[in-house]
Amino acid sequence: MSTPTAGQQSPANGKSTDEDLAPGTTKQWAGLHKWLKRGLMVCLVGLVIEGSFDLPFLAIWYGWPTLSMHDICSELMKVRYNNESLECQYPYRFPGPPLSGAPEAAAVDTARDKWGIQPVPEYPRLGFRELVRMHDERIARQNAANNIAPHP
Amino acid sequence: MNLPLMNRRSGDGKKRVTSSVAGSGTVDDRYEEGRLAQRQADKWLIAGALLIGANGVAGTLGLPLFLWGLKLQRDASKAGLTVRPIMVTLIGYLVIVDAGLNLQGWILDMVANHSLIYRVLYTAIGNVMDGGYFWHYNQLWIGGAAAPGEKGWEFACILVVFPMRIAAAIAFLQMKRWGQQWLLVTCWFGVVIWVGYVMNMTEYADVRYAHVVFPVLGWWIFDIMYITPFLAIPYLHTVNRDIFSE
Amino acid sequence: MNEQDRRKRRALMAFQIFIYGYLLLMFGIQLSMWATRNW
Repeated sequence: MSTPTAGQQSPANGKSTDEDLAPGTTKQWAGLHKWLKRGLMVCLVGLVIEGSFDLPFLAIWYGWPTLSMHDICSELMKVRYNNESLECQYPYRFPGPPLSGAPEAAAVDTARDKWGIQPVPEYPRLGFRELVRMHDERIARQNAANNIAPHP
Repeated sequence: MNLPLMNRRSGDGKKRVTSSVAGSGTVDDRYEEGRLAQRQADKWLIAGALLIGANGVAGTLGLPLFLWGLKLQRDASKAGLTVRPIMVTLIGYLVIVDAGLNLQGWILDMVANHSLIYRVLYTAIGNVMDGGYFWHYNQLWIGGAAAPGEKGWEFACILVVFPMRIAAAIAFLQMKRWGQQWLLVTCWFGVVIWVGYVMNMTEYADVRYAHVVFPVLGWWIFDIMYITPFLAIPYLHTVNRDIFSE
Repeated sequence: MNEQDRRKRRALMAFQIFIYGYLLLMFGIQLSMWATRNW
């Protein structure tokens, strides 16, 4: 009885005489396994690229570092609910949802939607760094209003 | 009778292998070498996978580590050592990373939806590609994404599917038979999830895509990378089950 | 074994056609919605 070597034919482990086959892969499935491996590598690289770049991409798209994270949070909330008086409370009162307490937009009803069984949101599309522009415009407007108002 | 081949168990050697061929000291030594080589490769693979799963820029560091681990394993296999098949390694780790990323994302949407970082990150992702995470975000009593049906899917996946899938994948990496079987079951859960989730999105397509920055394409390009279960299922059905133990 | 493998191959092909076909179908439906609705 010879000592088994890699690639020796044996029905027990399903390997054929072809030495290039991995354990578990038989000849008739080798093609399928090859393509599956390629697909898996593509998914892996894709996940890595996505995971690495989505946060920086989003941060820059929505105005970081010109706007702080807190500013971005508040601006997005204003757009979401069409309400310039909303601000992100930070830090949010502990413990907050889902454990207890009201969610941050609990009593807000200013959001623009076409309601019905198929709701359709109507907030504006935000272009590249448009939040910065909206933020600055609003500050300028509020400053202008404040400058006008106090005069008796 | 090639008994040693029948008994051959690749993987990280958690199971004690008995070789019944007379004068088989060299076989045991080779087996031990293979086990050590696999463990060495696994160190790199685990480090890489953890960094990839941690998300963020750390992921780009994780990928080379992971690929290095794969290379070590392939080299050991070419040297004739008994190591885990590359496909098993790739599927096992990728399933864990895939399920881990999903778990992270959804657990945070369930319990951390009022933290500053996730309010920014999720509403931003929502505004960029999936209105379900922007529309009325944090207005439901439970907080988080408000798209119809979303929380139901999140809960089912967080509590049932992804933990089971990770447990099965770990056992699969240990070359256990139940790992291979249950990975198959949990990947089929994945088929159910994809069918249901995508249908739900299509049903409420206006909520999901109206006025987002990159409608339709954004979500699909991003999420198509999560089809690991569809790639695992054919392999799991066609791999020779004898290589898995007990 | 051969017959079983052939049946398995056909079943796997059916599965892949089904799932990737489904994804393509949904993608197509969503694309057509994008074309017709005011998104």
